[in-house]
Amino acid sequence: MIKKIFNFILPPDNWKVPVIVICGVLSGTLVFILYVGNATSYLSDKPETCINCHVMYPQYSSWRVSSHSKVATCNDCHVPQDNFFKKYAFKASDGARHSFMFTFRLEPQVIKIKQAGINVVQDNCIRCHSNLLNHTMFVKDDRGEERLCWSCHQETPHGSVSSLSSFPDSKVPGLNPIVPDWLKKQLNK
Amino acid sequence: MKKIKDIIKEKPYVGWLLFILTVVIVFLAGLFGSSIIERRTEANLILQNIKPLSEWEPRNEVWGENFPRQYQSYIKTLDTNYKSKHAGSQKVDMLEKYPELVILWAGYAFSRDYNQGRGHYYAIKDLRNTLRTDVPQPSTCYACKSTDVPRVMNELGVEEFYKKPFKELGHEIANPIGCQDCHNPKTMNLRITRPALIEALARQGKDINNATHQEMRSLVCAQCHVEYYFKGEGKYLTFPWDKGSSVEDIERYYDSVSHTDFVHTLSKTPVLKAQHPDFEMFKMGVHSERGVACADCHMPYKSEGGVKFTDHHIQSPLNNIENACQVCHRESEATLIKNVFDRQDKVEELLKLAMNSLFKAHIEAKTMWDNGATEAEMKPVLDLIRSAQWRWDFVAAGHGSSFHAPLECARILGTAIQKSEEARIQLAGLLIKKNIPLPIVYPDVSTKEKAQAYIGLDVNKLKEDKKNFLETVVPVWDKKAEERHDKMQEKYTN
Repeated sequence: MIKKIFNFILPPDNWKVPVIVICGVLSGTLVFILYVGNATSYLSDKPETCINCHVMYPQYSSWRVSSHSKVATCNDCHVPQDNFFKKYAFKASDGARHSFMFTFRLEPQVIKIKQAGINVVQDNCIRCHSNLLNHTMFVKDDRGEERLCWSCHQETPHGSVSSLSSFPDSKVPGLNPIVPDWLKKQLNK
Repeated sequence: MKKIKDIIKEKPYVGWLLFILTVVIVFLAGLFGSSIIERRTEANLILQNIKPLSEWEPRNEVWGENFPRQYQSYIKTLDTNYKSKHAGSQKVDMLEKYPELVILWAGYAFSRDYNQGRGHYYAIKDLRNTLRTDVPQPSTCYACKSTDVPRVMNELGVEEFYKKPFKELGHEIANPIGCQDCHNPKTMNLRITRPALIEALARQGKDINNATHQEMRSLVCAQCHVEYYFKGEGKYLTFPWDKGSSVEDIERYYDSVSHTDFVHTLSKTPVLKAQHPDFEMFKMGVHSERGVACADCHMPYKSEGGVKFTDHHIQSPLNNIENACQVCHRESEATLIKNVFDRQDKVEELLKLAMNSLFKAHIEAKTMWDNGATEAEMKPVLDLIRSAQWRWDFVAAGHGSSFHAPLECARILGTAIQKSEEARIQLAGLLIKKNIPLPIVYPDVSTKEKAQAYIGLDVNKLKEDKKNFLETVVPVWDKKAEERHDKMQEKYTN
């Protein structure tokens, strides 16, 4: 079967060299995209991955000064944590959507979470805080719908201000170095 | 199944279709790649300054061109209108308020002139204006006052910087405390630019590079708002934290290195002068225990047109209750202010008791010396006065300690009063032995002038000299600084 497909697309002998070159160009472009897109970082759980694109700076900044930054990364809340395959499938579908929106400049000024994301975050709130939950988790609002954790805890952890222009000078991603080079040299004298 | 080359041979349009399909794939892949690169560049532009800052840029107004919101709030430290019950941003002549201070500091430059400080913006102006800088001072005095310090320190070396006579570096130090002192000019990250804090923590086995962002929001302040002394002949700026940072720990440290700031001219006590142990006292309080940083109350977040940023109008939180206090405390403004004043009032009550007791102790000790006391007789008394005055000063010299750590203030002042009164009991015994009738007569120190005249200080002469200095020397310094600023951009931008 494979041999048949291979035979089907096999170019004539006098075309082989140009075809090899063209295939190389295509593969090279692919590798290039993986490289400039920092593709391997998406396999990790590092929060810095989420600010590969600057669109997430406000979310990153508000998370970093929140108490959650001491115990939870972006993925701990925003990606399913109950099963390995689910986790990476979610990452992949989310990632595909994000790269599409970003490439075609469809991202809104204020990013709002979608239903799939809501479900995941709610599950993850419960995953860590189950010991704090009693009957309150079943309380329904006046429309009879079950409340989400952040129906009440509205500012956890990103605060109430999160548009693209709301953190103009956010220190992304980190703090170091605390001691400038000139002073290090002076102190080592 | 036919081979594709045979299909193309029969139907050439299939070849064209394949060609066009490849063009589309490469086009889309290229578009995707270039989009990623474009967006990367955008991210860099977000953090790029409109006007790149040189590593040593000392002028706050130049930084301000890039960060108008922060700068606009920073220059509000110019405002000296706010006055609270006990402090505020106004200049207050503390020697006029408490003339006894002149007696407590007899023999030290503080007896000449001591004011409640104004905002950061006035750092250089007030440093030049004070009568305290007319005694021969080292350049160590500049260490905390100016954004020019990192540049000059780098040029001269840290040790050499401290050693220079105060007036020799006058023209180099022109810009008040500001951006450069706490921020990296490229990334705006918080950083530490003064060696003393790094060295003090290192001696305690702590690496400042491990500090978290929240700790940094206090540590940048702790570069200056701490107890310090000028060590040895080199006048090396040193924080006395080797044994810990409580009032007793620091006292033990000073005793172990036999440090004395001055010998009291009346009582001959080897006195320790406390600076402003604000950070040390803050760490003793409940706000620090709960993880609050200096900036949380003194530079709270502020919203302006949907943009959130740090308010750089560094001031008393009492002037900004809604952002400083009510973010956490839901009590009314009046209640919160009352809570602060209650603590301050009570600590002030004890402060005055300690101050008056020390005043009397110094005069009584002087009376003993006047009547032929011996060193051996006086040693235990002077040790007690030294310890008592150190403790009193540790609270008195701080900014806002009575709110930062009211319980610790009361504890320290309790021991100060006890030690001072113990000294006075011993003095009473000695005075009776010399047949000197008790109570002795204390001088009239109802005003600053009377107190200064009593310790033999000719303030008018000092003021005349100061006027002269401000009119002749300072303009030359300012001119040199201006010339340097004109060349700065080209010299230091890579």
